Amino acid sequence: MTVFSVTDFIAHINDVLGRSWDAEELCVEGEVSGFRVSQGQWVNFDLKDETGLVNIFMTVWQLHVPVEDGMKVRVFGVPRIYPKFGKFSITANRIELVGEGALKKALAALKAKLELEGLFDPSRKRPLPVFPNRIALIASRESAAYGDFIRIVNERWRGLEIHTYHVKVQGMGAAEDIVQAIQSANTRSAIHRTAMSEDEYDAIVITRGGGSLEELMAFNSEVLVRAIHSSKIPTLVGIGHERDLSLAELAADVRGSTPTDCARRLVPDRNDVLRDLAHHTEKIENQLLQAINSKKDLIERALRSPALWLATERQRLDQLASRAESNMQQWLKALSDKLRNHVRLLASLDPKGVLKRGYAILKSGSQTVTSIAGLSVGQPITIVLRDGEGDARLEKLRQANEAKQQKLL
Amino acid sequence: MTEKKAKKIVDVAKAFVELESIAEWFEKGESDLDVGLKKYERAMELAEVLRERLEQAENKVTEIQKKHSN
Repeated sequence: MTVFSVTDFIAHINDVLGRSWDAEELCVEGEVSGFRVSQGQWVNFDLKDETGLVNIFMTVWQLHVPVEDGMKVRVFGVPRIYPKFGKFSITANRIELVGEGALKKALAALKAKLELEGLFDPSRKRPLPVFPNRIALIASRESAAYGDFIRIVNERWRGLEIHTYHVKVQGMGAAEDIVQAIQSANTRSAIHRTAMSEDEYDAIVITRGGGSLEELMAFNSEVLVRAIHSSKIPTLVGIGHERDLSLAELAADVRGSTPTDCARRLVPDRNDVLRDLAHHTEKIENQLLQAINSKKDLIERALRSPALWLATERQRLDQLASRAESNMQQWLKALSDKLRNHVRLLASLDPKGVLKRGYAILKSGSQTVTSIAGLSVGQPITIVLRDGEGDARLEKLRQANEAKQQKLL
Repeated sequence: MTEKKAKKIVDVAKAFVELESIAEWFEKGESDLDVGLKKYERAMELAEVLRERLEQAENKVTEIQKKHSN
């Protein structure tokens, strides 16, 4: 028989209990009751089922899921008696939530908390570049999601560099795995950015296929949501056909509904782009052609205009010439009319014409006699008639009354 | 330009934006033919580079190995 001191006894029991299971081997499932946190660091609650109860003890730093009374959880840890109070408990190093109900409740609580912090704020969402050159793809290499994503990208686009970060997408350590990938992608991109090598990532794509809420828990974990939120590189997260959005998707800059949709959101269809390209170049060509043609018109017009001017001038000249000619004709006619009149007048004044009508011209010597003044009786005088002349002597002079009067004056 | 062409990655986004701005310039109907010809030349160059980029055979997938030290 062995006699123990109380302290030794408890130490012995703890030693036996500690050696009974490997650290990861012991897992107790039950409902949470009397959950409390003391001094901001110690977590204490009871784990119950219909007939039993065991106390659970742990630190807040080990508690990664939101726990409250009534939740069904699995506790991983080691059984131990606390010497001071002789109280039996399981010192937990990890707690997992069990069942849709508990998961959903925990998820709702976490969502509310992160929402309040602004992690899902739509105003901070960045657009993805329209034409990415290089991306980080965080996915499981073996998943259908990975294959679908690559296939659709290949169908749509060319020349994209995809750096695959192979990660676990469910189960233990999946969230941490993805977080690490996000961080290394950011680090790698930052190094390239400072090196100005233009080899930085344009986007981080995180994708996986659909699954049960439990399978998708990694995408609802706080660490992952925070890592996505703080990524310097724009994020695109898409999880296959899920009824409820994961928190990771809510925190992402852009969300795809499926891995295929992620590929479509990441890269444009090159056929569309080629069409756009053709449209642009065609438009530019047409516009340039139009510009050239309008210049050509201008030149042609410029070349044509001197000839046109010359023709107009010639026409003007013709008009002037014909007008001048017709004016001249008129002038000539008027002139000749005038001449004819003058000739007629002159003809009527010809003394010979008067002689024809029976008048005579008297001459004394070579002088024509127009008045009796200066004439004397007996003076010889020549009478000129139409067809000859004769000499005579004046017999008598009679002065007309008119001449007498003039003389008196 | 040859040096740029030698580079595998063409910045499609920048090239496309430039091409679009040239198209817009032409749409405004500016009549400076010298500038127009230069811009046209540049547009055709960009279009060629973009087409080449879009006709590239493959997307390149590389796996980044995890650092075990971390």
